[in-house]
Amino acid sequence: MIASVSNFRGGVLLLLWLLGALLSGGECRAQGCDSCRVAPERGRRLDRREHVGYEGIERIVPTHLKVQYAGGMGFLSFGAGWDYGRKCRWETDALVGFVPHTYSDKFHATFTLKQNYIPWSIRCSRRLAVEPFTCGIYMNFISGEDYWVREPDRYPTSRYYGFTSRMRLHLCVGQRLTYYLREGNALRHVTLFYELSVSDLDLIAKCGNRTLALSDIVYFSAGVKFQLIRNR
Amino acid sequence: MMALLSIGCQVEYHPYDTRIRGARGINARNIARIEEACAGRRTLRFAVLSDTQRWYDETRDAVAALNGRDDLDFVIHTGDMADFGMRSEFERQRDILEQLRVPYVVLIGNHDCLATGERIFREIFGAVDFAFTAGSVRVVCLNTNSLEFDRSRAVPDIDFIERQLAEYPAEAERTVVAMHAQPYSDQFDNGVAPYFQSRLREFPGLEFCVHGHGHRFLVEDIFDDGVNYYMCDNIQKRSYLVFTINEMGYDCERVEF
Repeated sequence: MIASVSNFRGGVLLLLWLLGALLSGGECRAQGCDSCRVAPERGRRLDRREHVGYEGIERIVPTHLKVQYAGGMGFLSFGAGWDYGRKCRWETDALVGFVPHTYSDKFHATFTLKQNYIPWSIRCSRRLAVEPFTCGIYMNFISGEDYWVREPDRYPTSRYYGFTSRMRLHLCVGQRLTYYLREGNALRHVTLFYELSVSDLDLIAKCGNRTLALSDIVYFSAGVKFQLIRNR
Repeated sequence: MMALLSIGCQVEYHPYDTRIRGARGINARNIARIEEACAGRRTLRFAVLSDTQRWYDETRDAVAALNGRDDLDFVIHTGDMADFGMRSEFERQRDILEQLRVPYVVLIGNHDCLATGERIFREIFGAVDFAFTAGSVRVVCLNTNSLEFDRSRAVPDIDFIERQLAEYPAEAERTVVAMHAQPYSDQFDNGVAPYFQSRLREFPGLEFCVHGHGHRFLVEDIFDDGVNYYMCDNIQKRSYLVFTINEMGYDCERVEF
């Protein structure tokens, strides 16, 4: 646990550094609208998210970048994603991560496809908003010859073990804190988030064991989302 | 909020990462305890558990049942602690077995070899082939999960067996061999099975072999040579084996809990 906490602290420091570097970054004038901007204040509306849809080929341009620490998808994962739907409630991310040699038999690359749902955003001040509940599901693949999707031919049957070691499914819930930057910044807003996740195999184990505590199978992760400004 | 959660929750880089928390080198530590406690004795009693993968409730109950006895010298786990080879599975099983009052040793099973499992096993428990001397009995524990290594290594390791034969300790008179998968099972390298058995028979006073893998209790003289192979139930069957070795021979009892 001591190792976990110290590693976690390292991750949080890294995230804070990234955030600091970002906020102190140079001015970058940008025009146009982005996919998910703050709507002008009207009365006391709590959820200020507003979706301005992309059109045509623009839809393939990512709306945000992400960095995530841990979560069963690697030591660190980086990637891009797209948010969409009414009030930008849906979010799909594609992340590439790694497990360094220090924490495994050798260096492993990881690939994650993640689907999130963020039902609410609550404005706390002019620039701060809280997303009190997020949930999601993600599929993670790991590189390396010792992992399989389909069991190797050496086994007497195709379902000798009956699971895939290369691919894991995870469920997660979390919370977020979003800071909306001033006009003219390179980014629209920056979101800090954390998640509690559980893997498919641990869920299976939990189903058959009453003594297996939820805290035994739930893992903490954290990250930063950088909302991009789309230039026209 | 995040700080509180980070203290309360674990962090996982990947289910197959090798960031092991808690005790390591379990077998070496416990072998020292066994050898010290049993030194000079000619009568021994030990229990055998097997195939505890993903049956945490039953494993806890087994540990409670074993702790309720005061006649055991040690416990042997004949492999398959993990079901999927994940680090967390080894750690959870280890944490349960650490509650045993008597020392225990763990052998590697085929499920324990999956992905980074063997590496994690070596870190937490130790070598996959090992032996120790409990009083007058030499217990030889072997990795027999040949299928998992796909001929990349000699499994079972005949060189290790030969070294054990050459360096047989003077205080030992009888031998017990433990393994996970028995000869002629789907995991065993059956091309070497007769040779394997011929080498085992060279051990002084070979009493019996004990193993898991089959998930049921079975006593079989596999090679029809008078050496019985005792297959231990998986822990879901809520049973364990107790072997008593004395100057008259040995006795095996299947105990339900």
